[in-house]
Amino acid sequence: MDRSSASRIVTTIPRRDLLSGIGGGFAGIALSQLLGQSDLLAKDAGVGAPRADLNGGIHHRAKAKRIVQLFMNGGASQVDTFDPKPRLTELDGQKFDPGSGEKVESVTGSAGFKVLKSPFDFKRHGDCGRWVSSVLPHMAGIVDDLTFLTSMVTKSNVHGLASYMQNTGFVLPGFPCMGAWISYALGRINDNLPAFIVMPDARGLPYNNQGNFSAGFLPAQHQGTLVKASSPNPISHLMPPKEAGFVTPESESEGRELLQQMNRAYQEQHPGDSRLGARIESYELAAKMQLSVPELFDLKGESKDTLSAYGVNEAPTEDFGRRCLLARRMLERGVRFVQVWSGAGGPTKNWDNHANIPTELPAIASQVDKPAAALVRDLKQRGMLEDTLVIWTTEFGRMPFSQGSAGRDHNGGTFVTWLAGAGLKPGVAYGESDEWGWKALTPIPCYDLHATILHLLGIDHTKLTFRHNGIDRRLTDVHGHVLDPILA
Amino acid sequence: MLLWCIATIVVGLGAATTTARAQETERDLLSRLPKPAEKKIDFIRDVQPLFKERCFKCHGPEKHKSDYRLDRKADALEGGSIGEAITAGNSATSMLIHYVAGLDEDMIMPPKGERLTAKQIGVLRAWIDQGANWPAEADAAADTRPTHWSLLPLHNSPAPQVKQQQDRVLTPIDAFVIAKLQEKGFKLSPPADKRTLIRRVTFDLTGLPPTPAEVDAFIADDSPQAYERVVDRLLASPRYGERWARHWMDIIHWAETHGHDEDAPRDNAWPYRDYLVRSFNDDKPYAQFVREQVAGDVLMPNDPQGVIATGFLAAGPWDESSQMGIQDGTLDKKMARILDRDDIIMTTMSTFVSSTVHCARCHNHKFDPISQEDYYSLQAVFAGVDRVDRAYDPDPEHGARRRALLAMQADIKAGRVPREILLSVDVQSRVSAWDKEIAEGNVWTVLTPESIESAGGATATPQADGSIVFSGARPDKDTYTITASPRLDRITAVRLEVMTDASLYHNGPGRQDNGNLHLSEFKLFAAPASDPAAMKPVELHRPTADFNQQGWTIEHALDGNPTTAWGIYPEVGKPHFAVFELKTPIDAKDGVVLKIVLEQLHGSVHLIGRPRLSATSAPSIASMTSLTAELTSILKGAPAQRTADQSAALALHVLRDENDKALAALPPVQLVYAVASDFAAKGNFVPAKTPRPVSVLRRGDIRSPIKPAVPGTLGCVEGLESRFKLDDMDDEGARRVALANWLSADENVLTWRSIVNRVWQYHFGRGIVDTPNDFGRNGSLPTHPQLLDWLAVWFRDHGGSLKSLHRLIVTSAAYRQSVTDNEKYAASDADNHYLWRMNRTRLDAEELRDALLAMSGKIDLTMGGPSARQFNTSKGVHVTPNLDYDGFDVDSPAARRRCVYRFIFRTVPDPFMDALDCPDASQLTPKRTTSFTAPQALAMLNDRFLLRYCEHMADRLRREHADLDDQVRTLFELTCARPPTNDEAAAVGAYVKKHGLANACRVILNSNDFMFVN
Repeated sequence: MDRSSASRIVTTIPRRDLLSGIGGGFAGIALSQLLGQSDLLAKDAGVGAPRADLNGGIHHRAKAKRIVQLFMNGGASQVDTFDPKPRLTELDGQKFDPGSGEKVESVTGSAGFKVLKSPFDFKRHGDCGRWVSSVLPHMAGIVDDLTFLTSMVTKSNVHGLASYMQNTGFVLPGFPCMGAWISYALGRINDNLPAFIVMPDARGLPYNNQGNFSAGFLPAQHQGTLVKASSPNPISHLMPPKEAGFVTPESESEGRELLQQMNRAYQEQHPGDSRLGARIESYELAAKMQLSVPELFDLKGESKDTLSAYGVNEAPTEDFGRRCLLARRMLERGVRFVQVWSGAGGPTKNWDNHANIPTELPAIASQVDKPAAALVRDLKQRGMLEDTLVIWTTEFGRMPFSQGSAGRDHNGGTFVTWLAGAGLKPGVAYGESDEWGWKALTPIPCYDLHATILHLLGIDHTKLTFRHNGIDRRLTDVHGHVLDPILA
Repeated sequence: MLLWCIATIVVGLGAATTTARAQETERDLLSRLPKPAEKKIDFIRDVQPLFKERCFKCHGPEKHKSDYRLDRKADALEGGSIGEAITAGNSATSMLIHYVAGLDEDMIMPPKGERLTAKQIGVLRAWIDQGANWPAEADAAADTRPTHWSLLPLHNSPAPQVKQQQDRVLTPIDAFVIAKLQEKGFKLSPPADKRTLIRRVTFDLTGLPPTPAEVDAFIADDSPQAYERVVDRLLASPRYGERWARHWMDIIHWAETHGHDEDAPRDNAWPYRDYLVRSFNDDKPYAQFVREQVAGDVLMPNDPQGVIATGFLAAGPWDESSQMGIQDGTLDKKMARILDRDDIIMTTMSTFVSSTVHCARCHNHKFDPISQEDYYSLQAVFAGVDRVDRAYDPDPEHGARRRALLAMQADIKAGRVPREILLSVDVQSRVSAWDKEIAEGNVWTVLTPESIESAGGATATPQADGSIVFSGARPDKDTYTITASPRLDRITAVRLEVMTDASLYHNGPGRQDNGNLHLSEFKLFAAPASDPAAMKPVELHRPTADFNQQGWTIEHALDGNPTTAWGIYPEVGKPHFAVFELKTPIDAKDGVVLKIVLEQLHGSVHLIGRPRLSATSAPSIASMTSLTAELTSILKGAPAQRTADQSAALALHVLRDENDKALAALPPVQLVYAVASDFAAKGNFVPAKTPRPVSVLRRGDIRSPIKPAVPGTLGCVEGLESRFKLDDMDDEGARRVALANWLSADENVLTWRSIVNRVWQYHFGRGIVDTPNDFGRNGSLPTHPQLLDWLAVWFRDHGGSLKSLHRLIVTSAAYRQSVTDNEKYAASDADNHYLWRMNRTRLDAEELRDALLAMSGKIDLTMGGPSARQFNTSKGVHVTPNLDYDGFDVDSPAARRRCVYRFIFRTVPDPFMDALDCPDASQLTPKRTTSFTAPQALAMLNDRFLLRYCEHMADRLRREHADLDDQVRTLFELTCARPPTNDEAAAVGAYVKKHGLANACRVILNSNDFMFVN
């Protein structure tokens, strides 16, 4: 039960100063301010407001305004996709011995620790000559637009913890994910769709379920809005359920009118409380969402070429392709952050290829390869790539040695992420792993990736904070360096 | 595999530099360093001034760059984020000397201004070489006298005399509040009207709206005690305990799933919730409430509530995949344990003493006088327990009996029963009686195989002892068929021994690589010796085994289901046995042929390597199951010829047997998800039994232990010992008892301030301290410090009665004032810190849902028991089930329980509750946020549950009133505790005529009048 003071306003305004209780005087707040677009509210208490003179940034000029993140759930194998290791071919079948005397561990057990070569051919692609394996032919076609981080590291070799790490910067539950931090910092661009949307795989939620999209201790409105792209009701509560037959279009419109009338009368009788107005506004916003969401999901306006580029109407790309196309439509309509997942939790049908790299990896990769490449091309062709950031990532990589006969165990020691778009040097790769793809030689923790993403959005990662249980929390904890070498 | 522990990346890089430097020979280094001074160094005279002048700017009391500071001894000697700086006794390898001497161009200290002179460096070197002596009087950390408000003694000042609004002073609270208002030039607002007041206090104390009858009764009661009577009624209502238990669940992030990747339900967590409801309703003294939750199992061994109370310690998330799935001994596993204790520490210390001790895991607390050692002392307190289902006897008498029997069992197992008891007349007479019974059965007779068949083509080699070794072909599945003709008068049971053999992996007893086996079905057939072809199935029951693999119990060998089986993993390399009783004994006087079929159909070579079969005619089977070969041979001899040793051995067996039977006869235990130091291992999740060693970790890095930690707690609370003196350091329970004593001590100023502040916050919407979990320097200051202390002392000295505290607060004039607007006051105190009016609050998720149930007349007020799952589940792809909230039947009984009994699934929250800011219990929620968002508006308009209960409300209104005006009036009375105005009645009446009552309910439920409490 909240018995907080009446003039405190904790509304759709993602402003820390309001949350910390400056309050008061917002009774006549305008809609645009409720949406978090107002400079009026930039009473900086750690987080400012987006500034027009900084291109929407808070601390410095922003390069990116929107983000789409493609998350490969399960741990995509770096040595079978973007980080070829001839040494593994040489030593295939021999006992893995990194030589340094360091203990080789395998969290779920890899009897024998035998080196496993990649079963796939690697070729150089594009003007930049980036190595890509035969598993990802479409991505190979866009490497000149991509920026690779080839020695990512993480703190845990366990799915749940590592997924939390990549999403929230912490290995434990309860921390806000990057999308929530960005929503908190920058608010919305539009006034009819949520700022942060998550589209899980049609087969189910990823490891940690909705924990990965949580607002943690940030106000609840910053959590990812779950969109079930293949469901007839993609957004929860958008329309009255069929079984509530008593709600008709007329009862709805006249009811809303009656409601607003009563709420305005109440507001007049109880002056000095901005929350009363905020609630009235929230119903107006809700009405706008109800109008704009059906249009968003209606793909009729998309050309045949576009639909086929994303693979929307064909196996195996149907689900991921549809969600990538929807992501582009969301970005176009001003959604700030869209996260698209490949694979659900659990031991199979995702990127967690413990049993058989030659069969399991192509199966999942072929669902993602074409749509992801189409998304980058489409954004570029529409000029959106200039201020949109695309991220392809995963929670960890996989081991250079075999598990069973042809699978690989989890490896937090090194893995690959790629980025594309706003403010980045295209066609470059940063970071180096050892000769086996076992460990990074130049470790890039998620802190650096998160710091760089915030930097591109015009946010200093050390200044985006929220006080929780005695600590000024940050997405980057007490770490993080902006990856200058990849910035344009 | 590389594991990155918390905060190790910086350390990792630092270590690399150190290694490189270590390659330089010591001689090279020494040659480049100024020579140490040759005099005896006095730290205070020679060294500290240098630190102050040249180092403190970045490494002193204010700033601690690289987490390093030279004003406090412990920190200076321990080092910062780039490692140890001072190696006492060896200045040549001390990094501090390298930095000031400029050995590394990238790391010269101080970085700006003049360099230290060779003489100054010589002084520092000599100080280090002489042992880095640092007297306590020169240690900033040694001055532990508290200065921060929350650590000062409780100030027991009387309520002040007020000059204004004296007539409004109803309780001492009002004197404090009005005095403060007077200081600010404010006044209390006028008292709230009766309707407002009863709606406020009813929601506040019970989480439910007042019924129209309750409102009418209160209005009709003109006596001066009318309000107090309402308060007493509400506090006596069981609904009070439910409401305040729900608050407590927020504070401690209690939920009923593990909350990590493998988010499994905790089916046995609910008894703790019932404990909370009961404790609040019984008005349990707060000190006792605190003590029970930390160490109730130890403090109250004879009361089941003691074990249940420790569900508190298990409230938070638990990482099943790291704890159970990850191999033991790996860094991932060790880190999982540290993080698990971290959650327990954070929950305990935030909840009871509003301390952020969890900030001191990687370094000393940056703001509060809490050392890293304090933190690891708390890790040590909990180092012996894990979160697990723990058994308890709901009936204390059964519990006492079970404990006695278990103690006896342990003594028997350990051979601790004195010989004089074993050979006593009493025990020996029991042995004789048993012996007689056994003699009739002639114990176990090995079935010598007459034919052996392996369906999978394995080679069977009979052994001299009657067992059969299987070798050769290793099919995935196999079925052995064995026949024998025992010479017994009757057969009451058969026994299957699975024996070890050197030819098997891990010595067996299975043929699998890991030594395991899976017996899918055990079948017995019998035929008279005269007609061996007339085999008939024999019904078996009551299977027992000496060991059962988790999930692969012996019952599976008789369940007729070929996909389930009996297994013995991980207890491989040892012989095991199973006994099956015949439902009806076979009469075998005229000879019998037995056929035993061992179906092993699980696959992957889970086959028995060396079985041996026996049969018995003993009438009492339970006493037979654990008979060893040695006992069997003793039994074969005549009782008179037994040696004393043999008699003692038999007596021990008889005692064990009696004890086991008595244990089995007790009613089954119940389980509660709590903590325990001993439990059955689950995969890689094994019990500690005695506390695991804990070390203080540099930077919180599991790879960098500094020194062992001893059990203890914060050192900053005056008058209480911070390191526990225990008689037996291995006594896990004593550690928690010591912490419980510390937390509940009268002298613990934090405890008493913390709880009265929480209660105040739930009544007013804001605590006297607005950071209820942080009373440190980073937290807020109290707005009414004298009032806070007065309340703390009053509460402590009134027996820690929460109900008395509630009564005191809600009968104050401060609480009973109205929600007004005052532009002048708002200009300087918009947030109403000083309580010049009451605060308006929005209904929280639980109040809203419970109110809907109550107003529709559908609420089910059943208390306690397993939680109501307001979702459908189906099997998920892995551990976590799939949850379906959309398909859940909102008219089912589970939907109609109060929210406190709702099953909270951490990683898949209820979308309706979620939209209304209900926390998901992944983090402590000492205070909820209240949002007003478009998704919330949509949930309030379109949620299935809400719309269905609009229909139920409409039904109720129609049932109770035929007349439309009456229906509309009651609708307002139910939702807003008031009749409608004429305008409202007209507008809503017209709307009802057109669209029906259910639609009108939907509108009113969305109104601010309903959603806010004034």
